Amino acid sequence: MTRPGVRIAGVGQTRPLREDPRAIPEMVLEAVEAALADAGLDLEDVDAAVTASVDLFDGLTASNVAITEVVGAVMKPETRIAGDGLAAVMHAACQIEAGAYRTVLVVAHAKPSLVWPRSVTAWAMDPVLLQPLGVDFLVCAGLQASMRAGPDPAAAVARWCRIAATRRAAALQAVGELGVSAADLEARFRVSPVLAHPLLADLAAPAADLACAAVLRREGAGREPGVKLLGCGLDLSPHAPGDRDLARPDGLHRAYRRARAQAGLTRRARRFDLLEPACVFPHEEELFCEAVSAGPADLISPGGGLYSGANPVAAGLSRLVAATRWLRGRRAGLALAHGSWGPAGQAHALAVLEAVA
Amino acid sequence: MRGAAVVATGQTRHASRRDDVSQPELLREACRAALDEAGLRPRDLDAVVISNMEVFEGRCLPELWAGEGAFATGKPCLKVATGGTSGTSACIAGFHLVASGRFDTVLVAGFEKHSEGPTQSGMALTDPFWDRHVASGAVGNFALAVSQYMASRPYLTAEHAARVAVKARRNAARNPHAHLRMPDLTVADVLASPMLADPIRRLDMCPQSDGACALVVAAPARARKLCPRPAWVKAAVTRHEQPFLGDRDNRLGTMRTLREAARVAYQEAGITAPLQDLDVAEIYEPVSYAELAWYEALGFCEADEAGVLVESGVTELDGELPVNPSGGVLSSNPVGASGVIRVAEAALQLHGRAGERQVEGARTALATGYGVYAWADVIVLGTEP
Repeated sequence: MTRPGVRIAGVGQTRPLREDPRAIPEMVLEAVEAALADAGLDLEDVDAAVTASVDLFDGLTASNVAITEVVGAVMKPETRIAGDGLAAVMHAACQIEAGAYRTVLVVAHAKPSLVWPRSVTAWAMDPVLLQPLGVDFLVCAGLQASMRAGPDPAAAVARWCRIAATRRAAALQAVGELGVSAADLEARFRVSPVLAHPLLADLAAPAADLACAAVLRREGAGREPGVKLLGCGLDLSPHAPGDRDLARPDGLHRAYRRARAQAGLTRRARRFDLLEPACVFPHEEELFCEAVSAGPADLISPGGGLYSGANPVAAGLSRLVAATRWLRGRRAGLALAHGSWGPAGQAHALAVLEAVA
Repeated sequence: MRGAAVVATGQTRHASRRDDVSQPELLREACRAALDEAGLRPRDLDAVVISNMEVFEGRCLPELWAGEGAFATGKPCLKVATGGTSGTSACIAGFHLVASGRFDTVLVAGFEKHSEGPTQSGMALTDPFWDRHVASGAVGNFALAVSQYMASRPYLTAEHAARVAVKARRNAARNPHAHLRMPDLTVADVLASPMLADPIRRLDMCPQSDGACALVVAAPARARKLCPRPAWVKAAVTRHEQPFLGDRDNRLGTMRTLREAARVAYQEAGITAPLQDLDVAEIYEPVSYAELAWYEALGFCEADEAGVLVESGVTELDGELPVNPSGGVLSSNPVGASGVIRVAEAALQLHGRAGERQVEGARTALATGYGVYAWADVIVLGTEP
């Protein structure tokens, strides 16, 4: 039996804000309405919803309960994936490919402004061996950066300041703030305080409240214009930082291989026209590039990636939104969107998107 | 939906405290048993779906730590959490992964270790504006719903509910995994147990259990190789409800999500007379009264006739339609695993591996999930693809 194709029929998201004053359902509603309008559909056209949220970030048990109505899931199927929104995309695609539904709404949200993220992420660590030591995601990021930096941390930090400044400048330009140059930012970043050695405070993508939505639709007969979801890849690495080489992107590489295989990209020469990694720190972008064999010639996050606003749950879906918008209107093109969660990139999700003229 | 089948299951011993194992070790116990039954090695798995209600243990993204217990390391792993329906929704997610044609063999694993967290506090983390100040956890929530339900069903009595509680714990005595195994329990014992929140007495209510359950879902060709009698997925339907308790009157009495999910599932599975067409049912009844309401919603009887089903023994282990031969949620309730247990027990019956609780000749089985916001999952399994 032929597997049906899956299209990204519409995307929408709220503006990333350090503190969005609205309640979660109001934010999600805006993203959902934008995605549906983009797809030219109504909630009545949606067969099922897949939501991504994390209870401790929302301060709610079964946190999808807050948005059941605004995603139109009353008397409809809804699944909540507790993880990055791009994992929810993979699940939604499988639902469509299984023949269970024709149109699935995928939504991801989190309001990190509501919580103290270091506390929340500490509660994700092994409570026997790691949590009592005060290990959280930031500590793991610092450890990973330290291992990645190798014997010359100063050179690594200089490199990372350049990456972070480039992305941050692009993010500012994308919202019309044209007066800040990457060189100025780089100079400022270099003297910012240490966050978790060797990471400096300004190297971190700014945390943002965010809700994102995408409408996935089963392809009809024939080749329709738009953006097609060719395949996804997920991976979960060992939890304990000591159980893996943090300086190597092994888990991300496994996810990448799976995504390429699902997408049918058998020719190694087939390059991506756009890479949208979800990287909170620049050393993570280096690891991403290593995992997907990207080089200086590749286009990475022209809108600034997570430096426009990093959300702990919606990051991957925001990358899919960015990649979809970039691919639109192009006669051809291949993009890779990325989501990541867990300490030092323990879990990864990737989606391969293609523009279809 | 394309083809998928449950080919193997594994469960832990469920108990109020499993201090002998950590959360990953608890998961490993169930997952190891499921893989052994299927004759699989961890590397044979293409993906893992984990079910757990993280707030009950006070964890964030618990699969990050516990996933290794489910052999998820180095594999695609999804974590599903939808309250009481987490387990059944995780099973449905596993069905969809396999039916998509992307994954041949998927492990679905649910766990909860209530002894390591404040479940009642977790249950109280409801909407901060409208619900939290009256949040009262599962017992208070059910007391309200059951009161409305009983007021609308004048022929039902507390004794009918007590009979359900007795049936569950007697059946559980045949189930080596069950938490509350009470072969000598009587209706009088239930009616004499302490009142928790009127009309619910302690023995009307499910326990909080530490436990895990896993099952292997496989694509058709692989399923036939791994299991002599695969439990084929005939239908898997989910319906969610609006969240605010005051917005729907007599939620237990109407239970429109379960009714609609059952209607669609029966249609997909070719079931026209559930009481006759189904051979066994594993339904998610967190409180004895709920099982009476589910009988109506699932089409086993008309309104007001649930008591007749109980009195006539139709749903006993040797009745026309045995309901919860495992002892149900009333006997074992590790929330993240409870839905997986329902599906696993339904599959066990079709595999012919249910031991002392086996329903002879079972060919079609029903499993349901229930979430406290009246979310519902309905799954029909059969011995024919």
